Amino acid sequence: MPKLNLPSVRIPANDSASSPTPPAHFHLARRLAALVLLGGNSRAASHAGGRLILSWRSPIRASAAGLRRVASVSQNYTAVSWNAQKRAYDLALATGMLLYITTFLALGAWLHPTATAETLLIRALGSCAFLSLNVILCIGPLCRLDARFLPLLYNRRHLGVATFLLGLAHGAFSLFQFHALGDADPFISLLTANRNFASLADFPFQPLGFFALIILFLMAATSHDFWLRNLTPSVWKLLHMLVYFAYALLVAHVTLGLLQSERSPWLVAAMVASIALVLTLHLAATLKEKKIDQAAHEKDAGNFVAACRVNEIPEKFAKVISVHGERVAIFKYDGKISALSNVCRHQNGPLGEGKIIDGCVTCPWHGYQYLPETGASPPPFTEKVCTFRTKLVDGLIWLDPTPLPPGTPVEASKVQTA
Amino acid sequence: MAERVASALVWAMYAYVACGAIFAACFVTRGVQRIDSQARHAGFTFRLLIFPGVAALWPLLAHRWIDAQAEPPIGENPRQ
Repeated sequence: MPKLNLPSVRIPANDSASSPTPPAHFHLARRLAALVLLGGNSRAASHAGGRLILSWRSPIRASAAGLRRVASVSQNYTAVSWNAQKRAYDLALATGMLLYITTFLALGAWLHPTATAETLLIRALGSCAFLSLNVILCIGPLCRLDARFLPLLYNRRHLGVATFLLGLAHGAFSLFQFHALGDADPFISLLTANRNFASLADFPFQPLGFFALIILFLMAATSHDFWLRNLTPSVWKLLHMLVYFAYALLVAHVTLGLLQSERSPWLVAAMVASIALVLTLHLAATLKEKKIDQAAHEKDAGNFVAACRVNEIPEKFAKVISVHGERVAIFKYDGKISALSNVCRHQNGPLGEGKIIDGCVTCPWHGYQYLPETGASPPPFTEKVCTFRTKLVDGLIWLDPTPLPPGTPVEASKVQTA
Repeated sequence: MAERVASALVWAMYAYVACGAIFAACFVTRGVQRIDSQARHAGFTFRLLIFPGVAALWPLLAHRWIDAQAEPPIGENPRQ
């Protein structure tokens, strides 16, 4: 079985810094990014209907400050790559969370006049964190089901970190309120104060939240490209897949906590609905992808398989097919056909759901770009993905499913026009 | 018994975090640029941002720093 994910290349440090003149493409990309950032009606903006404005990042590195930085010292880590869209996203996020907490406190004080302010605050922070985690888990499958949700994916990292901070505040307040005022060490008290493991109604639910918070901490702490590069994409992804384990722990934490303090059927119904939504969306997205993976492809005398017809692919977009369990994105652009690995080098984003902008395949997640005929990022960036050979026979695209090493130039198939 | 186990776990966690914090202080100021060239000109905020992660995953980074690995390991993207 051919392996699509061949070893990547090392990314040399500051390779553009040694070149006094950035390539022409770089200037064009900067001009385009500036248009997007200034709200201009650029090609990227008009074609994507707002989608790619939000996902434009590297190699343009998005912000105006980022552009200056790239021009002088490329490939350097920045703390946060701010741009207008990220600021707007974060502002909306902070406002939404603040609004939720305020409303929760006001409603809580009205409905439960005997509840203390500390208890209400602990519940407001905890429920907000749990709600955010549900949103985070819904974003991925929603985007796989419908590309219009892609703007939500952009900056999901900040939503994740914000969720951890809410959880941390909830945990810190709870630890202080329930475990720090006695003689025992607060963490030892947290782990040992309640030992009713046999009772569902009095189960020690707090340690479950603590362990979930440790996982969320690890995820938030490694939510930077430094960690993606230094842990390697596979380890990083594995670590971040622990979110599902954290979610299971939190579902148990919240459910058991609710059972002990609340009798409202509405809260239980909301809890069940949120879990059902997350599960249903994941199931739907999996079924959709399974359909792609299970599609059978006719083989010719050589090693080529029939992929799809040319007219099935919209101009500057791709069709994703799965051959031998590996996904390949076949792009149509400027009368040509090229095929690349569907996996972006950055965070394994689905390249086939992106589009060609400025002659480059652009990942819909964070805007990483690759030249369609080589699978290599335009200079000064050095990310590379595997390429595949294609041929066109009577409007049918044939694909050699054997992946070529990342960055291998492949002559594009020419689309014959009548 | 349960308290003794919990106590051992918690004190092990304290020791791990204390070692991590000390290591992280050295690493973000001097070590990070030695194991990753892209961090050579990185600013204070970036170093502050990676501090918690370094304190948590310090054995991994200590191993690379001691081994004088000048660049991150070559990784493969997982299958999608």
